[in-house]
Amino acid sequence: MPAGSAIPQHLLEPETLAGLANLDLVARAVVNGFLTGMHRSPFFGFSQEFAEYRAYAEGDDPRFVDWNVYARTDRTYIKRYIGETNTRLVILLDASASMGFGTGKVSKLLYGKFLAATLAYLAARQHDAVGLIVFDDKIREHRRASTRGGRLSGVLHAIDRAQPGTGTDMKIPFERFHEVEHGRGLVAVISDFYCDPDALLKSVQPLAYQGQDVILFQLLDPQELKPVMKESALIEDMESGQTMEVSPIYMSSKYRDRIAEHIEALHKSALRAGADHRLVNITEPLDSVLRSYLLFRQRRG
Amino acid sequence: MSLLAPAFLLGLLAVGLPWWLHRLSSDNPNKQKFSSLMFLEPGEPRRVLAKKVQYLLLLALRIGVLVLLALAFTEPAIWRTPDPAGDSDGARLHLIVLDGSASMSYGDRWDRARAAANDVLDDLGADDRAQVVLAGRLFEVLGPATADIAAVRQTLNTAEPGVFRLEYGQLMRSIDGLIRTAELPVVLDLVTDVQAPGLPTRFGELAPRRPAEIVIHDVTDGAAENWTVDSFGASAVSGELTASVRSYAPDSVTRTVTLTQNGRTVGEETVEVAARGRADVTFPALELASGSNRVEVALSPGDDLARDDRRYLAIKRPEPRKVLIVSPDAEGRAPLYVSAALETLTTLALTADVRTTPLGDPPLLDYSFVVVTDVGLLDAAQATAVQDYVQNGGRALLATGPRSSSLTALPVTGQALRTNPQMGAQGNVAIGEVDTTHPALRGVEELRAANFYRSVNVEPSEADRVLMRLADGTPLLLERALGSGRVLLFTSSLDKEWNDLPLQPAFVPLMAGIANELLGGAGFTSEADLGSALAVRALGFAGGQIFDPSGDKALGLGAGSDDVLLDQVGFYEVVGGGTSELVAVNFDARESDLAPVDAATLERWKGLGVRPGETAAPVPATASADRVPSSLGPLLVMLLLMLVVMESLVGNWHLRIRRGVAA
Repeated sequence: MPAGSAIPQHLLEPETLAGLANLDLVARAVVNGFLTGMHRSPFFGFSQEFAEYRAYAEGDDPRFVDWNVYARTDRTYIKRYIGETNTRLVILLDASASMGFGTGKVSKLLYGKFLAATLAYLAARQHDAVGLIVFDDKIREHRRASTRGGRLSGVLHAIDRAQPGTGTDMKIPFERFHEVEHGRGLVAVISDFYCDPDALLKSVQPLAYQGQDVILFQLLDPQELKPVMKESALIEDMESGQTMEVSPIYMSSKYRDRIAEHIEALHKSALRAGADHRLVNITEPLDSVLRSYLLFRQRRG
Repeated sequence: MSLLAPAFLLGLLAVGLPWWLHRLSSDNPNKQKFSSLMFLEPGEPRRVLAKKVQYLLLLALRIGVLVLLALAFTEPAIWRTPDPAGDSDGARLHLIVLDGSASMSYGDRWDRARAAANDVLDDLGADDRAQVVLAGRLFEVLGPATADIAAVRQTLNTAEPGVFRLEYGQLMRSIDGLIRTAELPVVLDLVTDVQAPGLPTRFGELAPRRPAEIVIHDVTDGAAENWTVDSFGASAVSGELTASVRSYAPDSVTRTVTLTQNGRTVGEETVEVAARGRADVTFPALELASGSNRVEVALSPGDDLARDDRRYLAIKRPEPRKVLIVSPDAEGRAPLYVSAALETLTTLALTADVRTTPLGDPPLLDYSFVVVTDVGLLDAAQATAVQDYVQNGGRALLATGPRSSSLTALPVTGQALRTNPQMGAQGNVAIGEVDTTHPALRGVEELRAANFYRSVNVEPSEADRVLMRLADGTPLLLERALGSGRVLLFTSSLDKEWNDLPLQPAFVPLMAGIANELLGGAGFTSEADLGSALAVRALGFAGGQIFDPSGDKALGLGAGSDDVLLDQVGFYEVVGGGTSELVAVNFDARESDLAPVDAATLERWKGLGVRPGETAAPVPATASADRVPSSLGPLLVMLLLMLVVMESLVGNWHLRIRRGVAA
């Protein structure tokens, strides 16, 4: 789909995107549709509006040198545009078994893949370096952040290959990130975060100290947020396989309180660690999530 | 393998319980996957009947436990070759158990029993030993186990049957001690007439607790015919005597029943006794001699079991006694009803004086007992007089009436009355409970036909024995010991104001029973069971001598014990304090039924023992010589314990899974 073409808003619905053949197409559709829809929006940084000149430094792409200025002043300057910061985005995608849960056409993992692909595409479009870590209780895929040509394609393929695995260990991706990624940048963690908020805080804090800007996308199905049960059911944990008899009364009352408390605790932990937390109902369109991301990027960039 | 108590195999039906329980499932068929159990809490599991049986291993263990438990109760034993050290030469101990019950004196049974025992001795091996046991009420071991056959024969010749009955289950329990201590394998030679009434309720009780061969020597000789006087009694009201003749024969016969009093024939009746039926003979009241009278009935012609053709009864001739009836109205209905009833009792020879006060002349001590028709009429002095009379050994019947209804506590006894003293005032109430074990109420019938309109509600204390209650639970007749005497309290009236009891036919027998009790004797007649103990003090004697029916002294003065075992049929005489009392002891009527155990039961009984085959007459083809059973009980118990432990482990493992605990 050519960039910049108008896409109806309903095409950004997750269930519509699920019908698209590949992730690349999904990412392009979402981003282009989103950018078209945000005309006159505050995110003008994604236009080609000039912002400033900066002295050329070794390693800068020579394509961005303003040769006219060089001709007049004999100095090399780099032309910079609003919204272009040449930062780096590393996406941490949780592919544990619990992410395979979903009561509609789109599971949490599929939604997470859409979101990850979209973020990757958006970053690449802004010339940001893009990296990816897919994990469950170990590292499944790892693509270091880079702006080299074809890097986006590799990242999208890695996202596409992600399948629900086994359990979740949130320490693993952060430790790997800490080992291999040293520069400042953005870190987007996509998970359902069935973990101890304090443990997560301990994992995220080192990244904050390192200067990373972290955003946590917590993906949850509506049935996880406000479950509806007509009769008691034997609930099987998708990660451990353990079962438990649960009454509908509990699910409609106490469970909702406990999941809300968990989300709140996660939110506070994220704030304490200097990270952003965004709860995502996987039935909501991706554009609102992208909007959250861009606000976050603008604030941090 | 042999099962000593196969009836316990019915316990195997219990395996259906775990089978059913294992179909009960708490697994919810509505199973759903969910991201995490992190925020869930278990609810009450639903129980549903699953189509498939679950936890097969656990089920198998549980069924195994139940099967082993049932098998353990059946007392299984396997055949094995005995240890040569214990049975080196095939020597055996023959326990010759002679049935010494009364039925063995029927015809020539005892002679045949001796002959059978001698046959056993004739067939003894060179190394065998023999021991004789006489089984009746007691289990008498007549000499040690010995190889001296001549000594055993001599012992046999001295044994005689007794008058008691034999219960075979008790016999097998008693003989267990001898089998346990025997040094040789035991052959139990039971010489008996195999009376069917002697069988225990549980067939398993016939099994020896230790391995022993059972050989039953049946000494019956065809069908035995017997007729007996199985009951003989006298009415306390009319003094009439009734004897019941029973037949254990296939044909009806005519028998003459002769009544003798103190050795003199005073009556004779001819009666037609139907085949296996019963016929009653009634004699008019006797002219009794003073003191106790020996009264007996006898059947003629006699039969081969002479001991049960005769029955004994000791009847006391009452001394004329005076009774005082205290009533607010000497001409009222209550004294009329009571005095009429008491004077009707010719067996008690009572005469009644009626007064409005217990005080006066003659004094209370001159009366055998006192009846107060409305205890509310007694003022303090009168109540004290009655109380003193009772505490010094007197007896009193206290009734209530209109004058008692406003009381809070009864005079004389001080028994508290409940706040609403007229419970039962609403409508008619019949008599509910009657303690027929009490001598005063024994044999009193049709009491429940009476209607009660009012009564006072006495709060019974621990000192009170409630003999009758109304249907609404109100105590109607209470007994209380007071000092050396005794009080009976009737909580309704003795006229027809508060009830219609005096108008009922049961009133006179009730008054007879109460009068008998208040007179302090054991009653008009005196009997005791064969085999029971007779205590001198029970008859009101401070000390004395007891003579048995043959006239020998059974208990002398200064004897160490007060009790005498009543082991003879006839009259025991207790002499002391210048007077004497008779106690009649009769044959156990159950021993008169000579019907033998059927052949199939007899075979099953024999099958409970070991069958070495050398000496037993019916040797099954499966039983081989020199093999004895060995109990599998200890092995089963060990297996049972193992299964129980395994069941606990497996059950716990399943429980951990059900609770969601990581294994």
